[in-house]
Amino acid sequence: MLFETGRSAVSSEKMQLFGKQIIEEFKKCGITHIVWLPCFQLGFIYDVMLNQDDIKLVPVAREGEGVAVAAGIALGGKKPVVLYQNTGIYESGDSIRLATFELKVPMLVMLGYRGWQGTDSAGVVMEPTMDAWHVKYHIMKDEKDIGMIAIADKEAQELQQPVALLIVGETPK
Amino acid sequence: MIESMDAVKIISAHRGEALIVADMTPGTELPIVTTRPELDLPFNWAAMGKGSSVSLGLALARPDRKVMVTDCDGSLLNNLGSIMTIGSVAPPNLIHFMFDNGVYRCTGGQNLPKVSGFNFSTLALEAGYPNIHRFSDAETFEKNIDYIIAESGPTFVHLKIVPGCGPNYPYVRVSDCVDAFREALAKS
Repeated sequence: MLFETGRSAVSSEKMQLFGKQIIEEFKKCGITHIVWLPCFQLGFIYDVMLNQDDIKLVPVAREGEGVAVAAGIALGGKKPVVLYQNTGIYESGDSIRLATFELKVPMLVMLGYRGWQGTDSAGVVMEPTMDAWHVKYHIMKDEKDIGMIAIADKEAQELQQPVALLIVGETPK
Repeated sequence: MIESMDAVKIISAHRGEALIVADMTPGTELPIVTTRPELDLPFNWAAMGKGSSVSLGLALARPDRKVMVTDCDGSLLNNLGSIMTIGSVAPPNLIHFMFDNGVYRCTGGQNLPKVSGFNFSTLALEAGYPNIHRFSDAETFEKNIDYIIAESGPTFVHLKIVPGCGPNYPYVRVSDCVDAFREALAKS
């Protein structure tokens, strides 16, 4: 299945605006670093992210590695967000455990929610996995949900652990 | 070949104010010899192989501090992409020590899935680390470590460690050290 939000060339105007809002909200929350790997659903955010200088970008080779980098950034007193596809977060379990239970560091984990409502296998175990790993999460569908970023950021700071935002992409018309 | 504990002692003695993330076996040795436990993160109970990545994050968040990671060949293989990420992001304040003993020492000395002659130093060079060093005796390592620490990194230091299992030391949980580490970082 193809998602319209997957590539900048096909991102709708609505989702491009959503991408800008997300980056602006990150800035308001004081995010200092975005640790990221490309995700098909999050292309509309990357267009904006790659064309700004306020938040430092840290591209990594694998998702579990990225969560550990973000944990180090948080431990060092800065504020990271990780930006991946949900398929990659499945590979991050040991690093999520490290951040949550061993280092106790806050971070936002923003994930493209491939397979939302069971449209492919990537979505089937998404929410049960978050529950199993003790990661609180919110589902964001469009710009009306932008306030969830500040809510999740506050929760991450209070809980001193990762909190996830699952971004649902548009399905093809 | 260098005894693992001797390498840890040399690093600890010359670290100054550097933060140290000590993965796997060096993570059991550092707590025994350290004089700055508040600046240490022993990673033997933490995520295997992720010490290099956490140290990268620390180096990015605190560019004013030297950050060291005592990685191992097994843990580096566990997170091999990190070497490319570190080379690419290139934090000048990161020193990546790699203890090469050819085995998974913490679990009893099982051999690594590594072909004979594979050279981690070459990999680090190709990944973009500007400084690569390789030592197989403790005296030469100690003679050079101050110069290495002063270099603008990221720096990769490949240490040929005596193969097999050395003594077992008690594990220290990183969760028992992290509050003191955070407090020390916040103060300086």
